[in-house]
Amino acid sequence: MTDHQNVNKLPELSALIPATVEEPTTPRLLFNPPIDIYETPEGLVLYADLPGVDSSGLDLQVQDNRLTLFGRVTSLESESAQMLHQEYQVGDFLRSFILSDEVDHDRIQAKLTNGVLRVELPRAPRARPRRIEVSGG
Amino acid sequence: MPVFRWGQPWDPLHNLEREVDRLLQGVSMTLHGVRFGRSFPQVNLHETTDSYILMAEIPGNDVSELDVTIAANCLTIKGTRLPPEEAREDTFRRQERFHGPWQRKIQLPDRVDEDGMTADYSNGVLRVTLPKAPSSEVRRIKVNQDNAQ
Repeated sequence: MTDHQNVNKLPELSALIPATVEEPTTPRLLFNPPIDIYETPEGLVLYADLPGVDSSGLDLQVQDNRLTLFGRVTSLESESAQMLHQEYQVGDFLRSFILSDEVDHDRIQAKLTNGVLRVELPRAPRARPRRIEVSGG
Repeated sequence: MPVFRWGQPWDPLHNLEREVDRLLQGVSMTLHGVRFGRSFPQVNLHETTDSYILMAEIPGNDVSELDVTIAANCLTIKGTRLPPEEAREDTFRRQERFHGPWQRKIQLPDRVDEDGMTADYSNGVLRVTLPKAPSSEVRRIKVNQDNAQ
């Protein structure tokens, strides 16, 4: 293995990064964003902290029951600035979830406000009980 | 960027070094998701030639609930991050995000021009710019001789 960057180890990520952004070989850090998930009468709601991600840098995909969120962070710091104290590193966010069959994939809605993503995962309407006619022999 | 490095690139230990790098990067990746025990919000302080720049990751805070103050060269940021209104405590299936009041105090390394301080908040990142105060001129103090006696 010649390249050991985290970015290249994740096969699903290469498909998510738009080709227009800077060279894919640039090393970038990748983080697991903290999330909250809770139930409502309508279904599930997911919150994820994605500081530094705007709506154009966010990619949300559902494929084969897997919901993947990828947020690209544009660094605001200028190159000339010198770091005096560092508590966090700037990097992109990636996390994926397996959705249950109860979730109605077509009605998933997402909103990004102040670096927090809210995804509504509504429950699929329950199938009506169907009467099966029994034909007598 | 390698976290861990020893020897030369052609060193036989190069592969080991790379493996350790990879391991360490993996560790930092896992730790980032687990925010328990870490102070909220995380801050970075940068210095440019004419100012200090404080960056803080505070996703989901309303601007009206963000409080940035400075006194005696100590910058204080505080606010409250509320849990989603409609969520009841017993409906959570997973709760990793920080909720509640928070406060950070950052002592600045040098004098700053408190009137020139600006702050903006975008996409959940707070950025406070603190221009450095011009160094004060040397003031000569006259020594009086006591001629009373």
